[in-house]
Amino acid sequence: MHIPDGYLGPITCAFFYLIMIPIWYKGIKELKKLDPRKLPLLGVLTAFAFLVMMFNLPVPDGTTAHMVGGTLIAILMDNPWVATIAISIVLVIQAIFFGDGGITCIGANCFNMGVVLPFVGYYVYKFLRNKVGEVIASGIGAYVGIVTAAICAGFEFGLQPFIEPGYCPYPFTVSVPAMAIAHLLTAGPAAAVVTAIVVWYVRKVRPDLFTSKEQQVSGVNA
Amino acid sequence: MNWQDPLVKKFLYVIIAMIILCPLGILLVWNYGDAWGEWDPQELAEKVGESKVSGMLHLADIWNHALLPDYDVPGWDDPFHASIGYIISAIVGVILCVGAYYALIKFVNPRATTG
Repeated sequence: MHIPDGYLGPITCAFFYLIMIPIWYKGIKELKKLDPRKLPLLGVLTAFAFLVMMFNLPVPDGTTAHMVGGTLIAILMDNPWVATIAISIVLVIQAIFFGDGGITCIGANCFNMGVVLPFVGYYVYKFLRNKVGEVIASGIGAYVGIVTAAICAGFEFGLQPFIEPGYCPYPFTVSVPAMAIAHLLTAGPAAAVVTAIVVWYVRKVRPDLFTSKEQQVSGVNA
Repeated sequence: MNWQDPLVKKFLYVIIAMIILCPLGILLVWNYGDAWGEWDPQELAEKVGESKVSGMLHLADIWNHALLPDYDVPGWDDPFHASIGYIISAIVGVILCVGAYYALIKFVNPRATTG
């Protein structure tokens, strides 16, 4: 899902950088407010996200896809904004040092994998967790999050020929199904299983991370 | 920051295991193509015609200073060397991510990093 340099034109790239500036600003503000006890965990989760993206998985059509870890971070931090910051750190390092994802496309890639993915995943999880439990909800959230992000990337690829020709040559009728299928079949299930297992484990060893502020307050009063 | 948190330690073990196992991420897909939309621009130009991707060919080389392009040491192309290059990339990447994260925390929340 890392859009390389050249696939999006200057207008599209600038547009996503502009969108990301206020989101990064809000993310930094949320990071300042985050419970300091959670900061080391967010640090190792950032490294975890980097590594998990190195596990390319085979897609039946001959391409590859990988999970991202954004929904997992949003759930464990109980805050999708700080997931945006963690994933953005990873994407900037991947672009600069490893040539994975374009320098010009950092805005777009951060929007897809760092905003759409954790926000969709986190709110699907929140919507479902009282209905099916935290573990199943986190798996479904991760699945829906990564597929939605992939479809967004597909639309960016596929609208490019209509905005400025000369960059991504394929229209969205080609790019959206291709991106959706890779993540529906491969990266989505992987993200669901890994996210659910980690959430299950963390919930077992650190249930305090899952009690909301209201519950903590009422617990003190009781 | 308290790096002695037992959960953080568990994640450190997971990270070490993932670094050792990461070559699976290239070996399992060795005969597969690139991810959709991540093809080499020159190859794409040959396929669809240069005129259709003129802007892409212009922009594609805007950044060619990557330290470990495609998570490999340049020239280490066979599966064995590429796996070692991949592990080196994983270690470098983890150090850079944690370093950048720590620098950011120090910048936005200096009190959290002392003690």
